[in-house]
Amino acid sequence: MRRPLGIILPLLILVVWEIAARLIGNQFILPRLETVVPVLLSPATDILGTGSLLHNAAVSLIRVGAGFLVAIAIAVPLGIGMGWSPRLDAFADTTVQLFRPIPPLAWGPLAIAWFSVGLNSMVFIIFLGAFFPILLNTIDGVRGVKKTWVEVARTLGASEGQVLAKVVLPGAAPTIWTGLRVGFGIAWMCVIAAEWLPGTTSGLGYLTLYAYNFGQMHFIIAGMITIGIIGIAFDLLFRSVEDRWFAWRGSER
Amino acid sequence: MKGTRFLLIACLAALLLVAACTTTTSKATYDVGILYTKGTGPMPTLLATNQIDGYIAWQPFVEVAPVANIGKVISYSGNLPPDDRWKNHPCCVLTSRTDFMSSNPVFVDDMGVATILGTQYLNAHEAEAADITADWLAGKGNFTYGNITVSSVDILERSFPTVKFVNEPSEQWMAGQLEFVYALRELGTINGKLRNTTDIETKALLFDTGPYNQAMAMINTSSITVPPVMPNPIGVGYLLSDHHASLFVAVKKWQYFNDTYGIALKPEDPTATRPDLVDLMVKGKKVATLKLVPADAGPQLMQLAATNAIQMAYVGNPPAISAIDQGTPLKILMALNNEGSGVVVSEASPATDWNSFVLWAQQRAAAGNPIKMAAPGKGSIQDVMLRYSLEESGLSVKEVQA
Repeated sequence: MRRPLGIILPLLILVVWEIAARLIGNQFILPRLETVVPVLLSPATDILGTGSLLHNAAVSLIRVGAGFLVAIAIAVPLGIGMGWSPRLDAFADTTVQLFRPIPPLAWGPLAIAWFSVGLNSMVFIIFLGAFFPILLNTIDGVRGVKKTWVEVARTLGASEGQVLAKVVLPGAAPTIWTGLRVGFGIAWMCVIAAEWLPGTTSGLGYLTLYAYNFGQMHFIIAGMITIGIIGIAFDLLFRSVEDRWFAWRGSER
Repeated sequence: MKGTRFLLIACLAALLLVAACTTTTSKATYDVGILYTKGTGPMPTLLATNQIDGYIAWQPFVEVAPVANIGKVISYSGNLPPDDRWKNHPCCVLTSRTDFMSSNPVFVDDMGVATILGTQYLNAHEAEAADITADWLAGKGNFTYGNITVSSVDILERSFPTVKFVNEPSEQWMAGQLEFVYALRELGTINGKLRNTTDIETKALLFDTGPYNQAMAMINTSSITVPPVMPNPIGVGYLLSDHHASLFVAVKKWQYFNDTYGIALKPEDPTATRPDLVDLMVKGKKVATLKLVPADAGPQLMQLAATNAIQMAYVGNPPAISAIDQGTPLKILMALNNEGSGVVVSEASPATDWNSFVLWAQQRAAAGNPIKMAAPGKGSIQDVMLRYSLEESGLSVKEVQA
């Protein structure tokens, strides 16, 4: 029942879009559906010499994957440490809170100076986007593990390492997973922005910016829709894993 | 305590009020507003949605407006007033970091050779060069503007005749460059090394024509020197404009240059419409990999050059001048093109040429609704020329916000 209900609003938006586009009659404000749909229906066709939608989507996904993995590799261990050890938390928290509000793209000029143009600086920016949600959720998850579980494990003679591996990590996993889900969503937004940096020659973000140069709004909107579709696909993926593995959440005592 | 706080808030409110009043009253003190759009990207959209009354841009973005039926070209840059002032005005240049030049002199000379040969070829084969450029910039794809669909090849064929492709760093060309230095000083965007220099000092800081002379000597004697093989890729920046067509031609026609002159910029992926990795081949041997780095506007490239992310750049002259002024170890080696920009006004404007444009601007200013023109960036070639020409025509100019 949820799915069909969720389809109604997008369909309504399409109808309103087409009516509005016809009324406005200015493709720079709102291009008509019939210029956008063909672009989406032939995702393997080259766009302005920048490659096809599929090709650019793949390029963006590889970048976001790289940045996301780096973020996991650093944020999850750090988050476990900060959640587990109040001293480490006291030591690092101020710094984390200081850097967190800085939009990843503001790092653009420094990223290029430090990591040179191309993949590395983009990965850095994506990493920054994904890092904080993963870190904060991991800390939260570790802190949220029921004290009784930990105490029971200790009473039964578990070592500190065993408590961490057998109780805290599994207990925190659902919250960490939520962090990954949020982090991936932000990373996906960041890749689009990162591809606006000079020196980029591919990716969905680059494609939309490049089309802008020539006032090709229908390509921009097709790119935006592709970005949205890929975003929702990954969110569904994360959610289905959540439903399968972490369905116990909420039923524990 | 409470009193002081109240006083503070009152002062702040008064300040804001004064600020608001001064901004509104200053509105009528100029004739033409200039809006900077950080490149050409937003211009067609802003024009089509009536947020600006016109723009000055480099090609091929001048031709986009008439083709999309949103505006008309009232003057190409070479014809801007005063008479002959901007004829053959310098535009884009080839630059190199000086540390890179001194450790790789032959490579830089050879890049000069490839560029000059590209220019020679495109001047002899204009239609083919327009085709190549359309491929590089848009994969020869079509542009769609509502019901109008037009081939990128057609747009490039329209824009090519308005650009003059030359490489020689002549005395006259250098004098033209100095004009930009003066203009940038007036704008206040030059405030470093070039702030108080004499013309001779300025030239010494800006130019190194050695590579051009070396390159010409090599071309004239048909003997290209082979540089040592370079282990790391060399970053070379450029702009997505037909001004840099000599580079596009050099890469796309690499086989021809390889067979005819023994030097070529061979794309590593021959199927790519806009290659980003090319090999410098001299006498059939690969000597270096070039990483071609496109950007939307010159200042971005100069930022990359300043951090040594790129070593050479095809770029507009004001960004190069500003970078040198700010201490980037950079030299201008040769010209790439003269002219190649144009002024566009909205389709609704009564202006059809520069004079009627001035008249229209005067009327709009008198009515308290000054026209708003977009330029790619403060101190860009286009900005300098538009300001100069407007002021020459008796119109005062002010930077405005959207």
